[in-house]
Amino acid sequence: MLCGRCTRRAFLKTAGAVAAMTALGDIPATLFADERRLVKFPEKTDLILLTSRPPQLETPVHYFTEFITPNDALFVRWHIANIPTSVDLREWKLKVGGNTERELHLSMEDIKKFEKVTYTAVIQCAGNGRSFFEPRVAGGQWKNGAMGNVVWAGARLKDILNAAGIKAGSVDVSFDGLDEGPLPPVPDFVKSLPIDKAMEDDIMVAYEMNGSYMPLLNGFPARLIVPGWYGTYWVKSLTEIAVLPNAFDGFWVKSAYRVPDTPCGCTPPGSPQERTIPVTRMTTRSLIVEPADKAQLPRNKPAEIRGIAFSGGYSIREVIISVDGGKTWKEAELGKDAGRYAWIQWKYSWRPYKPQQYTLMAKATNSIGESQPFEGLWNPSGYLWNKVEKIEVVVI
Amino acid sequence: MRKIRLLTIPVLCIAGLASAGSQGTVHSITLPSIRTELKAGEGKGITETLCAACHSLDYITMQPRFSTAQWTATVNKMIQVMGAPINENDARKIIGYLAAQYGTQNEGRR
Repeated sequence: MLCGRCTRRAFLKTAGAVAAMTALGDIPATLFADERRLVKFPEKTDLILLTSRPPQLETPVHYFTEFITPNDALFVRWHIANIPTSVDLREWKLKVGGNTERELHLSMEDIKKFEKVTYTAVIQCAGNGRSFFEPRVAGGQWKNGAMGNVVWAGARLKDILNAAGIKAGSVDVSFDGLDEGPLPPVPDFVKSLPIDKAMEDDIMVAYEMNGSYMPLLNGFPARLIVPGWYGTYWVKSLTEIAVLPNAFDGFWVKSAYRVPDTPCGCTPPGSPQERTIPVTRMTTRSLIVEPADKAQLPRNKPAEIRGIAFSGGYSIREVIISVDGGKTWKEAELGKDAGRYAWIQWKYSWRPYKPQQYTLMAKATNSIGESQPFEGLWNPSGYLWNKVEKIEVVVI
Repeated sequence: MRKIRLLTIPVLCIAGLASAGSQGTVHSITLPSIRTELKAGEGKGITETLCAACHSLDYITMQPRFSTAQWTATVNKMIQVMGAPINENDARKIIGYLAAQYGTQNEGRR
Protein backbone atom coordinates (compact mmCIF):
# COMPACT_ATOMS: atom_id res chain seq x y z
CA MET A 1 0.00 0.00 0.00
CA LEU A 2 2.66 2.48 0.99
CA CYS A 3 5.58 3.13 -1.23
CA GLY A 4 7.92 2.19 1.58
CA ARG A 5 11.24 2.66 -0.12
CA CYS A 6 10.50 4.90 -3.03
CA THR A 7 13.13 4.97 -5.68
CA ARG A 8 13.59 8.16 -7.59
CA ARG A 9 11.97 6.59 -10.62
CA ALA A 10 8.94 5.41 -8.67
CA PHE A 11 8.60 8.84 -7.18
CA LEU A 12 8.87 10.59 -10.51
CA LYS A 13 6.19 8.26 -11.82
CA THR A 14 4.02 9.34 -8.93
CA ALA A 15 4.84 12.93 -9.61
CA GLY A 16 3.92 12.45 -13.23
CA ALA A 17 0.57 11.06 -12.22
CA VAL A 18 -0.35 14.10 -10.24
CA ALA A 19 -0.84 17.22 -12.27
CA ALA A 20 -0.31 19.50 -9.31
CA MET A 21 3.19 18.18 -8.92
CA THR A 22 4.71 19.10 -12.25
CA ALA A 23 6.45 21.95 -10.48
CA LEU A 24 8.61 19.35 -8.76
CA GLY A 25 10.34 18.46 -12.02
CA ASP A 26 13.45 20.40 -11.09
CA ILE A 27 14.14 18.81 -7.73
CA PRO A 28 17.91 18.80 -7.23
CA ALA A 29 19.55 15.42 -7.66
CA THR A 30 21.03 15.64 -4.17
CA LEU A 31 17.57 15.08 -2.75
CA PHE A 32 17.79 11.55 -4.06
CA ALA A 33 21.05 10.62 -2.46
CA ASP A 34 18.86 7.83 -1.09
CA GLU A 35 20.40 5.69 -3.75
CA ARG A 36 22.94 4.60 -1.21
CA ARG A 37 24.70 1.31 -1.13
CA LEU A 38 23.71 -1.47 1.27
CA VAL A 39 26.53 -3.55 2.67
CA LYS A 40 26.79 -6.58 4.91
CA PHE A 41 29.33 -6.49 7.72
CA PRO A 42 29.90 -9.35 10.18
CA GLU A 43 27.22 -9.75 12.87
CA LYS A 44 25.22 -7.03 11.11
CA THR A 45 22.36 -7.08 8.65
CA ASP A 46 22.41 -5.05 5.41
CA LEU A 47 23.14 -1.47 6.43
CA ILE A 48 23.69 1.72 4.47
CA LEU A 49 27.36 2.28 3.68
CA LEU A 50 28.79 5.65 4.57
CA THR A 51 32.39 4.53 4.85
CA SER A 52 34.09 1.15 5.08
CA ARG A 53 37.42 1.87 6.81
CA PRO A 54 36.79 2.65 9.53
CA PRO A 55 33.19 1.49 9.16
CA GLN A 56 30.33 3.95 9.37
CA LEU A 57 27.07 2.15 8.66
CA GLU A 58 23.59 3.60 8.90
CA THR A 59 20.38 1.85 9.92
CA PRO A 60 17.65 1.89 7.26
CA VAL A 61 14.76 3.86 8.77
CA HIS A 62 12.19 1.07 8.39
CA TYR A 63 13.80 -0.64 11.41
CA PHE A 64 12.43 2.21 13.50
CA THR A 65 8.94 0.77 13.18
CA GLU A 66 10.19 -1.56 15.94
CA PHE A 67 10.37 -0.29 19.52
CA ILE A 68 13.74 -1.96 20.07
CA THR A 69 16.44 -1.75 17.43
CA PRO A 70 17.84 -5.26 16.80
CA ASN A 71 21.55 -5.80 17.46
CA ASP A 72 22.27 -6.59 13.85
CA ALA A 73 20.53 -3.42 12.64
CA LEU A 74 22.07 -0.86 15.01
CA PHE A 75 24.26 1.72 13.28
CA VAL A 76 28.05 1.49 13.39
CA ARG A 77 30.45 4.38 13.80
CA TRP A 78 34.19 4.10 14.36
CA HIS A 79 36.63 7.01 14.17
CA ILE A 80 40.05 5.61 13.37
CA ALA A 81 40.99 2.81 11.02
CA ASN A 82 42.47 0.09 13.22
CA ILE A 83 39.37 -1.30 14.85
CA PRO A 84 39.29 -4.50 16.88
CA THR A 85 38.38 -7.59 14.88
CA SER A 86 39.22 -10.19 17.52
CA VAL A 87 38.86 -10.22 21.29
CA ASP A 88 40.02 -13.09 23.49
CA LEU A 89 38.11 -12.96 26.77
CA ARG A 90 40.87 -14.90 28.51
CA GLU A 91 43.19 -11.98 27.81
CA TRP A 92 40.92 -8.96 27.65
CA LYS A 93 40.99 -6.83 30.78
CA LEU A 94 39.51 -3.49 31.69
CA LYS A 95 42.18 -1.43 33.44
CA VAL A 96 40.89 1.10 35.95
CA GLY A 97 43.46 3.41 37.44
CA GLY A 98 45.03 6.83 37.44
CA ASN A 99 44.17 8.99 40.44
CA THR A 100 42.78 6.02 42.38
CA GLU A 101 43.64 4.15 45.57
CA ARG A 102 44.37 0.99 43.59
CA GLU A 103 44.64 -0.15 40.01
CA LEU A 104 42.14 -2.75 38.81
CA HIS A 105 42.49 -5.16 35.94
CA LEU A 106 38.99 -6.51 35.56
CA SER A 107 38.14 -9.57 33.50
CA MET A 108 34.66 -9.94 32.06
CA GLU A 109 33.92 -12.32 34.92
CA ASP A 110 35.01 -9.65 37.42
CA ILE A 111 32.78 -7.03 35.78
CA LYS A 112 29.82 -9.39 35.98
CA LYS A 113 30.29 -9.63 39.75
CA PHE A 114 29.14 -6.03 40.15
CA GLU A 115 25.40 -5.54 40.54
CA LYS A 116 23.79 -5.83 37.12
CA VAL A 117 21.66 -2.92 35.97
CA THR A 118 19.41 -2.85 32.91
CA TYR A 119 17.65 -0.03 31.12
CA THR A 120 16.49 1.03 27.69
CA ALA A 121 18.29 4.00 26.18
CA VAL A 122 18.57 5.69 22.82
CA ILE A 123 22.05 5.76 21.37
CA GLN A 124 22.46 8.49 18.78
CA CYS A 125 25.49 9.83 16.96
CA ALA A 126 26.01 13.58 17.49
CA GLY A 127 26.16 13.93 13.70
CA ASN A 128 22.88 12.14 13.01
CA GLY A 129 21.06 14.21 10.38
CA ARG A 130 24.22 16.03 9.27
CA SER A 131 23.34 15.59 5.60
CA PHE A 132 20.28 17.82 6.13
CA PHE A 133 22.40 20.84 7.10
CA GLU A 134 22.18 23.79 4.75
CA PRO A 135 24.77 24.93 3.84
CA ARG A 136 26.19 21.40 3.84
CA VAL A 137 29.04 20.56 6.18
CA ALA A 138 31.90 18.06 6.09
CA GLY A 139 31.69 14.82 8.03
CA GLY A 140 29.71 11.59 8.02
CA GLN A 141 26.70 12.31 5.81
CA TRP A 142 24.10 10.64 8.01
CA LYS A 143 20.42 10.90 7.39
CA ASN A 144 18.25 9.72 10.30
CA GLY A 145 19.71 6.26 10.79
CA ALA A 146 22.56 6.95 13.23
CA MET A 147 20.37 6.10 16.20
CA GLY A 148 18.64 3.20 17.86
CA ASN A 149 16.70 2.20 20.98
CA VAL A 150 18.43 -0.56 22.85
CA VAL A 151 18.14 -2.43 26.18
CA TRP A 152 21.58 -2.18 27.78
CA ALA A 153 22.79 -4.23 30.72
CA GLY A 154 26.02 -4.10 32.65
CA ALA A 155 27.73 -2.73 35.73
CA ARG A 156 27.43 0.80 37.05
CA LEU A 157 30.52 2.84 36.25
CA LYS A 158 30.19 4.33 39.73
CA ASP A 159 30.53 0.90 41.36
CA ILE A 160 33.65 0.16 39.33
CA LEU A 161 35.19 3.55 40.14
CA ASN A 162 34.39 3.12 43.83
CA ALA A 163 36.05 -0.30 43.78
CA ALA A 164 39.20 1.44 42.54
CA GLY A 165 38.74 4.24 45.09
CA ILE A 166 38.73 7.75 43.67
CA LYS A 167 41.31 10.03 45.25
CA ALA A 168 40.49 13.58 46.27
CA GLY A 169 41.09 16.24 43.64
CA SER A 170 39.94 14.13 40.69
CA VAL A 171 38.59 16.19 37.80
CA ASP A 172 37.86 14.01 34.77
CA VAL A 173 37.63 10.34 33.91
CA SER A 174 38.91 9.21 30.50
CA PHE A 175 37.85 6.17 28.49
CA ASP A 176 39.93 4.34 25.89
CA GLY A 177 38.96 1.42 23.69
CA LEU A 178 40.77 -1.16 21.58
CA ASP A 179 40.74 0.95 18.41
CA GLU A 180 43.93 2.66 17.28
CA GLY A 181 45.02 5.09 14.61
CA PRO A 182 46.50 3.68 11.39
CA LEU A 183 49.66 5.75 11.91
CA PRO A 184 51.30 6.89 15.16
CA PRO A 185 50.41 10.61 14.80
CA VAL A 186 46.66 9.92 14.40
CA PRO A 187 45.04 10.90 17.70
CA ASP A 188 43.79 7.83 19.57
CA PHE A 189 40.06 7.84 20.20
CA VAL A 190 39.82 8.64 23.91
CA LYS A 191 36.86 10.44 25.50
CA SER A 192 36.29 11.84 28.95
CA LEU A 193 33.53 12.75 31.37
CA PRO A 194 33.71 15.22 34.26
CA ILE A 195 34.06 13.21 37.50
CA ASP A 196 30.61 14.25 38.76
CA LYS A 197 29.01 13.03 35.55
CA ALA A 198 30.97 9.77 35.66
CA MET A 199 29.66 9.11 39.19
CA GLU A 200 25.99 9.46 38.21
CA ASP A 201 23.93 6.32 38.88
CA ASP A 202 22.95 5.68 35.27
CA ILE A 203 26.35 5.59 33.60
CA MET A 204 27.09 1.97 32.76
CA VAL A 205 29.82 -0.32 31.52
CA ALA A 206 27.54 -2.46 29.40
CA TYR A 207 28.28 -6.00 28.32
CA GLU A 208 24.84 -6.84 27.02
CA MET A 209 22.75 -5.39 24.25
CA ASN A 210 19.14 -6.53 24.03
CA GLY A 211 19.87 -9.52 26.26
CA SER A 212 22.83 -10.76 24.24
CA TYR A 213 26.51 -9.99 23.90
CA MET A 214 27.16 -7.01 21.63
CA PRO A 215 28.45 -7.31 18.07
CA LEU A 216 32.16 -6.48 17.81
CA LEU A 217 31.29 -3.55 15.57
CA ASN A 218 29.11 -2.16 18.37
CA GLY A 219 31.77 -2.51 21.06
CA PHE A 220 32.21 -6.12 22.20
CA PRO A 221 33.02 -7.05 24.91
CA ALA A 222 31.99 -3.92 26.85
CA ARG A 223 31.19 -0.32 26.09
CA LEU A 224 30.37 2.78 28.04
CA ILE A 225 26.72 3.88 28.16
CA VAL A 226 26.05 7.55 28.91
CA PRO A 227 22.26 7.69 28.57
CA GLY A 228 20.87 11.02 27.44
CA TRP A 229 24.23 12.09 25.98
CA TYR A 230 25.37 11.63 22.40
CA GLY A 231 27.05 8.41 21.34
CA THR A 232 30.50 9.98 21.09
CA TYR A 233 30.93 9.28 24.83
CA TRP A 234 29.78 5.67 24.56
CA VAL A 235 33.33 4.35 24.04
CA LYS A 236 33.34 0.89 22.45
CA SER A 237 35.51 -2.15 23.28
CA LEU A 238 36.70 -0.48 26.48
CA THR A 239 40.21 -1.23 27.71
CA GLU A 240 41.09 1.56 30.06
CA ILE A 241 39.35 3.92 32.45
CA ALA A 242 41.64 6.57 33.93
CA VAL A 243 40.71 8.93 36.74
CA LEU A 244 42.51 12.22 36.16
CA PRO A 245 43.59 14.93 38.62
CA ASN A 246 43.36 17.43 35.76
CA ALA A 247 41.08 18.30 32.86
CA PHE A 248 41.44 15.80 30.01
CA ASP A 249 42.94 17.49 26.96
CA GLY A 250 42.87 14.79 24.28
CA PHE A 251 41.95 15.71 20.73
CA TRP A 252 38.52 14.05 20.69
CA VAL A 253 37.33 16.23 23.58
CA LYS A 254 39.45 19.38 23.29
CA SER A 255 39.12 19.84 19.53
CA ALA A 256 36.49 17.48 18.14
CA TYR A 257 32.81 17.03 18.95
CA ARG A 258 32.34 20.65 19.93
CA VAL A 259 29.51 23.08 19.32
CA PRO A 260 29.22 26.85 19.64
CA ASP A 261 28.89 28.01 23.25
CA THR A 262 25.50 29.58 22.60
CA PRO A 263 22.12 28.58 24.12
CA CYS A 264 21.13 26.70 20.93
CA GLY A 265 24.58 25.26 20.18
CA CYS A 266 24.24 26.98 16.84
CA THR A 267 25.52 29.89 14.78
CA PRO A 268 23.86 31.69 11.85
CA PRO A 269 24.02 29.24 8.91
CA GLY A 270 27.42 29.39 7.24
CA SER A 271 29.17 31.35 9.96
CA PRO A 272 32.07 30.07 12.05
CA GLN A 273 31.98 29.10 15.70
CA GLU A 274 34.17 31.01 18.13
CA ARG A 275 33.86 29.92 21.75
CA THR A 276 32.96 26.24 21.81
CA ILE A 277 31.91 23.60 24.33
CA PRO A 278 31.73 19.79 23.99
CA VAL A 279 28.49 18.29 22.69
CA THR A 280 26.83 16.54 25.62
CA ARG A 281 23.08 16.05 26.07
CA MET A 282 20.90 15.17 23.11
CA THR A 283 18.39 17.63 21.78
CA THR A 284 14.71 16.70 21.65
CA ARG A 285 13.64 15.19 18.37
CA SER A 286 11.05 13.17 16.53
CA LEU A 287 10.97 11.13 13.36
CA ILE A 288 8.09 10.19 11.10
CA VAL A 289 8.73 6.54 10.27
CA GLU A 290 5.54 5.82 8.33
CA PRO A 291 4.51 6.82 5.77
CA ALA A 292 7.86 7.27 4.06
CA ASP A 293 8.70 10.62 2.53
CA LYS A 294 7.21 10.84 -1.00
CA ALA A 295 4.96 7.86 -0.35
CA GLN A 296 1.64 7.64 -2.11
CA LEU A 297 -1.50 6.86 -0.14
CA PRO A 298 -4.91 5.82 -1.40
CA ARG A 299 -7.54 8.44 -0.77
CA ASN A 300 -10.43 7.96 1.59
CA LYS A 301 -8.71 5.12 3.40
CA PRO A 302 -7.47 5.21 6.99
CA ALA A 303 -3.79 6.04 7.11
CA GLU A 304 -1.71 5.92 10.23
CA ILE A 305 1.17 8.30 10.73
CA ARG A 306 3.68 6.63 13.03
CA GLY A 307 6.98 7.58 14.46
CA ILE A 308 9.27 7.94 17.43
CA ALA A 309 10.43 10.75 19.70
CA PHE A 310 13.05 11.14 22.42
CA SER A 311 15.19 13.68 24.21
CA GLY A 312 18.37 13.86 26.21
CA GLY A 313 17.22 12.20 29.41
CA TYR A 314 13.71 13.61 29.87
CA SER A 315 10.51 11.81 28.95
CA ILE A 316 8.51 12.99 25.97
CA ARG A 317 5.45 14.87 27.16
CA GLU A 318 3.78 15.47 23.83
CA VAL A 319 4.07 14.91 20.10
CA ILE A 320 1.93 17.07 17.85
CA ILE A 321 1.14 16.31 14.23
CA SER A 322 0.14 18.49 11.33
CA VAL A 323 -1.17 17.17 8.01
CA ASP A 324 -1.47 20.63 6.45
CA GLY A 325 2.09 21.92 6.53
CA GLY A 326 1.87 23.33 10.04
CA LYS A 327 -1.38 25.34 9.85
CA THR A 328 -3.17 23.12 12.36
CA TRP A 329 -1.84 20.63 14.89
CA LYS A 330 -3.27 17.65 16.76
CA GLU A 331 -1.82 15.50 19.48
CA ALA A 332 -0.48 12.08 18.59
CA GLU A 333 -1.19 9.06 20.78
CA LEU A 334 1.90 8.08 22.74
CA GLY A 335 2.98 4.46 23.18
CA LYS A 336 4.50 2.83 26.25
CA ASP A 337 7.01 4.78 28.30
CA ALA A 338 10.13 2.70 28.91
CA GLY A 339 11.84 5.39 30.94
CA ARG A 340 13.38 8.76 30.34
CA TYR A 341 16.26 7.50 28.19
CA ALA A 342 14.18 5.40 25.79
CA TRP A 343 12.35 6.62 22.76
CA ILE A 344 8.60 6.62 22.72
CA GLN A 345 6.53 5.47 19.79
CA TRP A 346 3.61 7.61 18.69
CA LYS A 347 0.82 7.33 16.15
CA TYR A 348 -1.82 9.51 14.61
CA SER A 349 -4.79 8.17 12.68
CA TRP A 350 -5.84 10.09 9.63
CA ARG A 351 -8.09 9.69 6.60
CA PRO A 352 -7.08 11.88 3.67
CA TYR A 353 -9.95 12.70 1.33
CA LYS A 354 -8.57 14.95 -1.36
CA PRO A 355 -6.15 13.63 -3.98
CA GLN A 356 -3.30 16.08 -3.54
CA GLN A 357 0.07 16.51 -1.95
CA TYR A 358 0.08 16.73 1.85
CA THR A 359 2.84 18.06 4.08
CA LEU A 360 3.03 16.00 7.27
CA MET A 361 4.87 17.38 10.28
CA ALA A 362 5.72 16.11 13.76
CA LYS A 363 7.03 18.06 16.74
CA ALA A 364 7.97 16.60 20.11
CA THR A 365 8.28 18.33 23.49
CA ASN A 366 9.88 16.80 26.57
CA SER A 367 8.92 17.06 30.23
CA ILE A 368 11.03 20.19 30.78
CA GLY A 369 9.62 21.97 27.74
CA GLU A 370 12.48 21.37 25.31
CA SER A 371 11.18 21.02 21.77
CA GLN A 372 12.22 21.19 18.14
CA PRO A 373 12.90 24.25 15.96
CA PHE A 374 10.99 24.89 12.72
CA GLU A 375 14.21 25.97 11.05
CA GLY A 376 17.11 23.56 11.40
CA LEU A 377 19.72 24.88 13.77
CA TRP A 378 23.16 25.10 12.17
CA ASN A 379 26.73 24.72 13.39
CA PRO A 380 29.95 24.12 11.44
CA SER A 381 30.36 20.46 12.45
CA GLY A 382 26.80 19.35 11.83
CA TYR A 383 25.70 18.34 15.32
CA LEU A 384 22.43 18.43 17.32
CA TRP A 385 20.10 18.10 14.30
CA ASN A 386 16.49 18.17 15.51
CA LYS A 387 14.46 20.21 13.06
CA VAL A 388 10.69 19.64 13.19
CA GLU A 389 9.98 16.63 10.99
CA LYS A 390 8.44 17.43 7.65
CA ILE A 391 7.62 15.02 4.84
CA GLU A 392 5.48 15.11 1.71
CA VAL A 393 3.02 12.43 0.71
CA VAL A 394 0.77 12.19 -2.29
CA VAL A 395 -2.80 11.01 -1.96
CA ILE A 396 -4.19 9.54 -5.16
CA MET B 1 25.72 -17.34 42.63
CA ARG B 2 29.22 -18.24 41.59
CA LYS B 3 28.01 -21.25 39.62
CA ILE B 4 25.63 -19.14 37.60
CA ARG B 5 28.35 -16.66 36.76
CA LEU B 6 30.67 -19.36 35.54
CA LEU B 7 27.95 -20.53 33.22
CA THR B 8 27.60 -17.16 31.49
CA ILE B 9 30.96 -17.38 29.75
CA PRO B 10 30.31 -20.63 27.82
CA VAL B 11 26.86 -19.37 26.83
CA LEU B 12 28.39 -16.21 25.43
CA CYS B 13 30.90 -18.21 23.46
CA ILE B 14 28.31 -20.49 21.93
CA ALA B 15 26.32 -17.47 20.89
CA GLY B 16 29.47 -15.96 19.42
CA LEU B 17 30.22 -19.15 17.53
CA ALA B 18 26.91 -19.04 15.77
CA SER B 19 27.23 -15.60 14.24
CA ALA B 20 30.90 -14.74 14.15
CA GLY B 21 34.09 -16.68 13.76
CA SER B 22 34.56 -17.39 17.43
CA GLN B 23 36.53 -20.23 18.93
CA GLY B 24 36.34 -20.85 22.63
CA THR B 25 36.65 -17.48 24.32
CA VAL B 26 37.85 -15.75 21.17
CA HIS B 27 35.37 -13.55 19.36
CA SER B 28 36.54 -12.68 15.85
CA ILE B 29 35.14 -11.07 12.72
CA THR B 30 36.50 -10.61 9.22
CA LEU B 31 35.81 -7.24 7.70
CA PRO B 32 34.62 -7.19 4.09
CA SER B 33 36.79 -5.55 1.51
CA ILE B 34 34.83 -2.77 -0.13
CA ARG B 35 36.23 -0.82 -3.04
CA THR B 36 35.38 2.73 -3.94
CA GLU B 37 36.40 3.94 -7.37
CA LEU B 38 37.36 7.60 -7.59
CA LYS B 39 36.71 9.63 -10.72
CA ALA B 40 39.42 9.78 -13.33
CA GLY B 41 41.44 12.97 -13.33
CA GLU B 42 44.85 14.47 -12.75
CA GLY B 43 46.04 13.60 -9.25
CA LYS B 44 43.81 10.56 -8.83
CA GLY B 45 46.72 8.20 -8.16
CA ILE B 46 48.36 10.25 -5.45
CA THR B 47 45.01 11.00 -3.85
CA GLU B 48 44.19 7.30 -3.68
CA THR B 49 47.57 6.34 -2.29
CA LEU B 50 47.92 9.00 0.37
CA CYS B 51 44.31 9.26 1.52
CA ALA B 52 43.71 5.51 1.58
CA ALA B 53 46.70 5.05 3.88
CA CYS B 54 44.41 6.10 6.72
CA HIS B 55 40.82 5.74 5.51
CA SER B 56 38.66 4.31 2.74
CA LEU B 57 38.03 6.49 -0.28
CA ASP B 58 34.29 6.61 0.36
CA TYR B 59 35.25 9.31 2.89
CA ILE B 60 35.77 11.45 -0.23
CA THR B 61 32.83 10.34 -2.34
CA MET B 62 30.40 10.66 0.60
CA GLN B 63 31.03 14.38 1.07
CA PRO B 64 28.87 17.08 -0.45
CA ARG B 65 30.41 19.19 -3.22
CA PHE B 66 32.96 21.51 -1.65
CA SER B 67 34.60 24.70 -2.83
CA THR B 68 38.36 24.74 -3.29
CA ALA B 69 38.62 26.55 0.04
CA GLN B 70 36.64 23.79 1.76
CA TRP B 71 38.72 21.00 0.23
CA THR B 72 41.87 22.90 1.21
CA ALA B 73 40.62 23.13 4.79
CA THR B 74 39.76 19.42 4.81
CA VAL B 75 43.14 18.29 3.48
CA ASN B 76 44.94 20.66 5.88
CA LYS B 77 42.95 19.21 8.76
CA MET B 78 44.08 15.72 7.77
CA ILE B 79 47.70 16.88 7.81
CA GLN B 80 47.77 19.24 10.78
CA VAL B 81 45.20 17.64 13.06
CA MET B 82 45.05 13.98 12.09
CA GLY B 83 48.76 13.70 11.43
CA ALA B 84 48.74 12.61 7.79
CA PRO B 85 52.36 12.64 6.50
CA ILE B 86 51.66 14.51 3.26
CA ASN B 87 54.09 17.12 1.97
CA GLU B 88 53.06 20.51 0.61
CA ASN B 89 53.51 19.55 -3.01
CA ASP B 90 51.40 16.41 -2.71
CA ALA B 91 48.78 18.27 -0.70
CA ARG B 92 48.48 20.78 -3.54
CA LYS B 93 47.95 17.96 -6.06
CA ILE B 94 45.34 16.30 -3.86
CA ILE B 95 43.45 19.55 -3.32
CA GLY B 96 43.56 20.21 -7.05
CA TYR B 97 42.15 16.78 -7.82
CA LEU B 98 39.40 16.96 -5.18
CA ALA B 99 38.35 20.47 -6.20
CA ALA B 100 38.25 19.47 -9.86
CA GLN B 101 36.42 16.15 -9.46
CA TYR B 102 34.40 16.61 -6.28
CA GLY B 103 34.10 20.38 -6.17
CA THR B 104 31.33 22.90 -6.54
CA GLN B 105 32.77 23.99 -9.89
CA ASN B 106 31.54 20.71 -11.34
CA GLU B 107 28.06 20.84 -9.88
CA GLY B 108 25.64 18.89 -12.01
CA ARG B 109 28.34 16.75 -13.65
CA ARG B 110 27.96 13.61 -11.61
